[in-house]
Amino acid sequence: MIKKIFLVTIILIGAAAFVWKGTAFAATAEENYKFYCAQCHGLDGKGEGANAKPKAFGIDLPEMSVTPRNHTSSEDMSKLSDTDVQNAISDGGASVSKSSIMPPFGKTLTEAEIKDLTAYLRKLCKCKGK
Amino acid sequence: MSVGKVGRLMVLVVMTAFVVSFSWNLSYADGKGIFASKNCGSCHQSEGPANEKTFEDQLKKKGPELWYAGSKFKKEWLVEWLEKPTTIRLLKYNSITEKNNEKHAVLSKKEAEEVAEYLLKLTAKEVPAGAVTEASTPQGKNLFVKRYGCVGCHAVKAGAQKAGGVSGPDLSEAGKRLKGDWVYAYLKEPKVFKPVKRMPVFVGIINDNEMKTIAGFVAGQK
Repeated sequence: MIKKIFLVTIILIGAAAFVWKGTAFAATAEENYKFYCAQCHGLDGKGEGANAKPKAFGIDLPEMSVTPRNHTSSEDMSKLSDTDVQNAISDGGASVSKSSIMPPFGKTLTEAEIKDLTAYLRKLCKCKGK
Repeated sequence: MSVGKVGRLMVLVVMTAFVVSFSWNLSYADGKGIFASKNCGSCHQSEGPANEKTFEDQLKKKGPELWYAGSKFKKEWLVEWLEKPTTIRLLKYNSITEKNNEKHAVLSKKEAEEVAEYLLKLTAKEVPAGAVTEASTPQGKNLFVKRYGCVGCHAVKAGAQKAGGVSGPDLSEAGKRLKGDWVYAYLKEPKVFKPVKRMPVFVGIINDNEMKTIAGFVAGQK
């Protein structure tokens, strides 16, 4: 009996650790988006964050050399598969033949968080991947 | 020389050493006192280690940590900046939408020197001295601007102008302010210095040599 309780406890701890590992800072996809992605893609996802258009935020610096993806555009976003999106987040723009200005977040976010973010992007574009 | 003379000389040497060390400590203590009396600690953490664990922990902070200021800043810049603060972050601390119009406290020359004396004693053992050569090399520029896209968030010099993003600190004159060794340590040990930050973790992505080259490039921006 004691052995059984011990075993169950170990399994539960293991499962809890596995679930917890899903979030680096216990944040939701929306929170991750607003903390990291919004710097360039904007809080609303239209690709007009402060790094992309400093002048719109009152700062006299030139616009970014590339236009960050508009995540609300179903036309643009439906051309990408979920795997494309996950690769871009994890390994950066260069990994999907886009600009290296999009940095890799694979060592910042967990795999589960990147999957959740991909689902969040699908909500923003109201579209499915190809 | 008689025994008496040697004795008197020794007393003099000991007393001089005592006065020198006392006045040095006084300056450090004065700086710490000014830091406390001006309530600098309400925005700046002066004792490590980093203890933020969530976005919320970071977002409630009002200013950058200073518990490793002595490893991070160059003395001459620090004294001057405390006397005549300028904008380093183009966006308000912790904001990605509001322009930084905040006015930092201004210190007198004497206060600035004493506070700098105190801050420069706050060091982190994780910053290796002499690891980085401070020079804006073409290789460093290539890594910073093209390969790793650091320029997306940080402004650097672009000819006579500057260009780059605004959500990270302006690095166009970073070499006046930052020690190259610290920039390298920050890239290498993000969990030690800033466990929760908007900048991605590059450990395992940028190799050690490249980190040093990038740190040299940043510290070469003057």
